[in-house]
Amino acid sequence: MREHIRGIILLISLGLFALAGSLISGTRVAYEHEISIALTLIAVALGYRIYSHGIRSLWHGNVTAQLFATIAIFISVIAGLVLPSASATGTAEAVGYLTAAAIVAFIILAGMTLEDYIIHRTRGALEALIRMSPTTARVRRDGAEVEVPIDEVKIGEVVLVKPGDKIPVDGMVISGHSTVNQATITGESIPAEKAVGDRTFAGTLNEHGALEIKCEKIAEDTTLSHIIQLVEEAQEKKAPIQNVADRFTTYFLPIMAVLSSSVFAVSYFALGFDVALARTVTVLLVACPCALSIAVPVAVAGTIGNASMNGIIIKGGTHIEKLKDVKLVAFDKTGTLTVGEPKVVEIKTFSNHSEADVIRYAAIAEKFSEHPLSKAIIAKATEMSMKIPDPTDFKTIPGHGVDAHYGNKHIIIGTKMMETEISEEANQLMNRVENEGKIAIPIAIDKDVIGIIVVADQVRKNSVEAIQRLKRLGVKTAMITGDNMRTAKSIAEQIGVDEFHAELLPEDKVAAIGELKNGSVVAMVGDGVNDAPALASSDVGFAMGAAGSDVAVETADVALLGDDLTKVEYAISLSRKAFSKMKGNIAYAFVWNVIALSLAAFGILNPVLAVILAEAGCISVVINSALLLLNKPKAFTVI
Amino acid sequence: MSIEKAVLKASKKDCNTCSTCATFKADNLRHALSRLSGVSKAKVDEITGKVTIEYDTQKIILSKIIERIDKLGYQVEILSKEEI
Repeated sequence: MREHIRGIILLISLGLFALAGSLISGTRVAYEHEISIALTLIAVALGYRIYSHGIRSLWHGNVTAQLFATIAIFISVIAGLVLPSASATGTAEAVGYLTAAAIVAFIILAGMTLEDYIIHRTRGALEALIRMSPTTARVRRDGAEVEVPIDEVKIGEVVLVKPGDKIPVDGMVISGHSTVNQATITGESIPAEKAVGDRTFAGTLNEHGALEIKCEKIAEDTTLSHIIQLVEEAQEKKAPIQNVADRFTTYFLPIMAVLSSSVFAVSYFALGFDVALARTVTVLLVACPCALSIAVPVAVAGTIGNASMNGIIIKGGTHIEKLKDVKLVAFDKTGTLTVGEPKVVEIKTFSNHSEADVIRYAAIAEKFSEHPLSKAIIAKATEMSMKIPDPTDFKTIPGHGVDAHYGNKHIIIGTKMMETEISEEANQLMNRVENEGKIAIPIAIDKDVIGIIVVADQVRKNSVEAIQRLKRLGVKTAMITGDNMRTAKSIAEQIGVDEFHAELLPEDKVAAIGELKNGSVVAMVGDGVNDAPALASSDVGFAMGAAGSDVAVETADVALLGDDLTKVEYAISLSRKAFSKMKGNIAYAFVWNVIALSLAAFGILNPVLAVILAEAGCISVVINSALLLLNKPKAFTVI
Repeated sequence: MSIEKAVLKASKKDCNTCSTCATFKADNLRHALSRLSGVSKAKVDEITGKVTIEYDTQKIILSKIIERIDKLGYQVEILSKEEI
């Protein structure tokens, strides 16, 4: 900020001195010409930022646009001071040359200040994230609540967060209940419920309840801090198209040196010294390599910044270029397209037993099992507010089921454990359920089947939208899963993916990605931990729900911090837009330079017009790239 | 509290044809460094890549700062280090 204010003050004083210089010339005060020359020279001198950059860069072996500007201004000043002394109207002409130099310096400085400002704005997304990090926290120490600076909070300390306050640390809720808006981290604006045992992230907003949080990570170790660091790193990573621009700029300045000397030589012999000088100055001022070199980095920064505001971390320019070419997105099923936690969706009872009975006996038998299906049954029992007694004894047979006793009752769970014949009715139900991709669990008491519990994984609420959005972009979709064919088929149909590959072991998933690639660019979306090998073998690996899992964020090319799969389409369409801007900007800057240089070489421009043209070219490219920051996801209706 | 001042040189193979790019990069590096906890002052020269940094040695060590600059894609060289 301070630099911008300094730039503006400098700019205003430069303008005032130049204006005073030209106003005073021709008035009837003693030494008016001398005074006006002095004032104009001061104005020119105020453009020292240009000359110092140009000369210091040259000192370090770099020829820059500022060096050309410096030479052009220097030539004008010398011409103004030396040339006219031979003629009678000398001083008036001197003022003319000097005024031109001052105006040129003014415009260049104005351009530099404006570009710096716009570019600074592309940091806006990052600055917004940084502002989200609270600087103090309320902790409980020796029974009292004290507010301390954030870097004095210790791991394991209890942090108190009032309603409406930002959560200052990553940690676990140990008391209280509230909703927390985690948009800063996940990009999802719907608040998440937080109760005892849930994890919280620093920088998220506590909404209506008070929470006590046990601190697990502070300052630079928090998820928010990692996101900020990743975004900073990603913005520094070049997009390959930058090399095209760099190749132009490498040749640009040597070509300019040759061009300006030839323009001088040719015009000198054809049209005389004065014209030659003016044209050379014009050529030096009109060149604008900056538009070429800045177009891509600003677009990369804008894109990555925009993505980070939407809960997406694109890990560098290369991935933007890969993303724009994605023709197929492969999704892992469990935990990605589906929630990954099976739920009881149906209870069928036989011989006068109630649903509660069936769940109760199943829950007793499964009480101590860690299996996901057992957890679904226990969760259902808890939901029905049942108290589950311990089984007298139980035995889990992996892949088969459970054999347990409760009092004098013998409970058997699972088809393969059944010793009795299963009725025709039960058989039909089990067949139907399995064709729907669900799991049927029969429960028998003393060899009598009392009911069947149907358990199924739930499709995530925006999976269908995510797939449809991709289709609209013309991107194909596939699902890859370790599940059996029937389950896979049913889920694939529900979600609407173009193809699916089932019964795959983790190493088969890598091979499946290889087959899908077959010449086209394939992205893979998974949880980032179990799917790491498949993600790595795809062209662009998306890890979803990555907030809180450093491994997932580290290994992925693109990390989706929340669970919203529609962000996959957003990342692709944003990258397409970004890349077409980069390409467009480079082409535009190239054509702009060629036209401007030709006009200057043939004497159609004067120095002031030339510098205006050059700055306009550069600023328009910077603005166009920076606009990527304002891109927003399009509204979409699921059909 | 003991404050150390280090002067580093951060370089990157990149386009150097105008001040806009140079200022952009220097600005990003300066922000990234001044955000590190324990760093009280960070200055980056856009032309030479000279980084002048002051930090509290009880909160951060120089190698952590260098690691950060390295992660941002620069090659780092230590020019000087002194206690102040």
